[in-house]
Amino acid sequence: MIADTLVQTYKVSFDENNQELALSGSMRPEHGAEMEACIQLLERSIASIRGTFYINVKRLVRLNNVAFHALAGALLKAADERPDVRISIVTSSVIGWSTKKFGTLSAKNPRIAVEEYDSEFYPGQSFLEEGGFVPVLRTQTKLTWKHERSILPRHGLTPGATMADICCGIGDFAVLVAKEFAPSRIVALDHSKSSLAYARQVASEFDIGGIEYIYGDAAEMLLEDGQFDFVSCRHALQIFNKPEMIVDELVRICKPGGRVYVTNEKISQCLGEPRGPSIQWTYEQLSKLFADFDMDLEFGPKSYQALQKAGLEDIRIESFMVTNRDGDAQAFADMVMAWEEMFAGGMCEKRGDDAAFVEKFRRGFEDHIAAALHPGGYAGWPVWVASGRKPQ
Amino acid sequence: MNLGAAPKDAGEHAELLEFDMDMDGFASNWAYCDRLSTYFARMISHNRSDSLLYSNLFSSALNELLETVYRLHAPSGRFVCSVARRGASERITLTVPVDAQTADFYRSAVSVLNDGDLASRYHTALFTDGPLQPNIGLLELAVDYAARFSIEPADGNAIRLIADLKLEETEA
Repeated sequence: MIADTLVQTYKVSFDENNQELALSGSMRPEHGAEMEACIQLLERSIASIRGTFYINVKRLVRLNNVAFHALAGALLKAADERPDVRISIVTSSVIGWSTKKFGTLSAKNPRIAVEEYDSEFYPGQSFLEEGGFVPVLRTQTKLTWKHERSILPRHGLTPGATMADICCGIGDFAVLVAKEFAPSRIVALDHSKSSLAYARQVASEFDIGGIEYIYGDAAEMLLEDGQFDFVSCRHALQIFNKPEMIVDELVRICKPGGRVYVTNEKISQCLGEPRGPSIQWTYEQLSKLFADFDMDLEFGPKSYQALQKAGLEDIRIESFMVTNRDGDAQAFADMVMAWEEMFAGGMCEKRGDDAAFVEKFRRGFEDHIAAALHPGGYAGWPVWVASGRKPQ
Repeated sequence: MNLGAAPKDAGEHAELLEFDMDMDGFASNWAYCDRLSTYFARMISHNRSDSLLYSNLFSSALNELLETVYRLHAPSGRFVCSVARRGASERITLTVPVDAQTADFYRSAVSVLNDGDLASRYHTALFTDGPLQPNIGLLELAVDYAARFSIEPADGNAIRLIADLKLEETEA
């Protein structure tokens, strides 16, 4: 028997302030007449607006030809009757079929435009998604895993759990978890196609099966509600300008009784000796640099409140310090070296910093590297871990 | 209704999943098209490179085929839907009980799919006033999903409609 829970209906709503009609879910009627309420709302909505009328189909997962035929007829009629209005249909490539399908309307009437939303996914993060950052991410995960492998069980990860790693980047955390905890299922989602391609390549080269790498927007995932025992999101809330939207999504896909696990930094607390003041100054500046690009690298201790606001219970928070004394001082130094290149290079240039600032900024990173490699030196990078349980 | 997933050869394809039920049972509820296509899509997509994207695409394609069968079939007989895989390709095989009229429909529909300007036919059909053409789903699969169709007689008064689909790009 096919479970009734597989049946999905659709939702349609009009947001007057944004002049946006949002369609979501599954539209597969048997007869066009079943679309009547939706078509009537579309007609009433378009009659009430001026300028651009937005139709958001980013979360319209299924649409049969019966429904499309009804929608298309209404939209083409509206475009004819309201030549003063521009109709903009916002699709998502995550759905797969929608841009092509709705694109046929543009060919019929050029005042109906189709825009694929994903091309504007988090433009501020382009620094972090270019190929050069991959080695840094690998090194970071290698260093944090030494701590997290023993921390994860305290936050509810058990062997055989179903798990989602959201904002998985290059997917190395998912691979480590797969090896150590043997979850029954791992879904790893990211909005960077290049990172996912890298993740799939690594999984293939090392013959690691069972990890589903999925392209998608963490703030509007197409994954269904309540699927996972454990939902992780590492070093990501700190680089999104609306972290609460992502936390809500993490909670939504988590099973009742399951746990949401996040890690974030407070980058200004990076430290080292000798040359502590220089190091401290640079990381305080680094925090400000990210803030200028709408990213909050001070998010770590704020994780508790973020999980609390999302309605989670039994919230646990702790921090750990990745240091040069963890057993691989060179890896620590390599990571800081890559940060220097990425941040004092690309980001400072984008912000338009002058040469004197960049030189001083670089010096702090170089002092941090020196501290890491110094026989008597100590260098640290603090990370905050927080998790909460979704109420039953 | 039977639903099985025994791995066996379907020619050069490895069979993934097969479903069969009486046609009058299948045709008793329109929602079965959506439920079956969703279920099949989930079951076969988990080991594709992007399981969610693949599932969306496969569900859309299979649903259009099932909706076509729902509307066009003989009143009784066994309806079988199976999915088999060969590398990046999926083969959907629908065994559909037919009478003379519906057999003609499927034969001529597949014949049309193998020649002519399909994109133009499909787009015309999408925007025609009045009821949709019964072959709209097959046209969509051929145009938007680059499906290749074939048809062959099956035991009893039935046809086998075969659609080969390649829904994901092979990554370098």
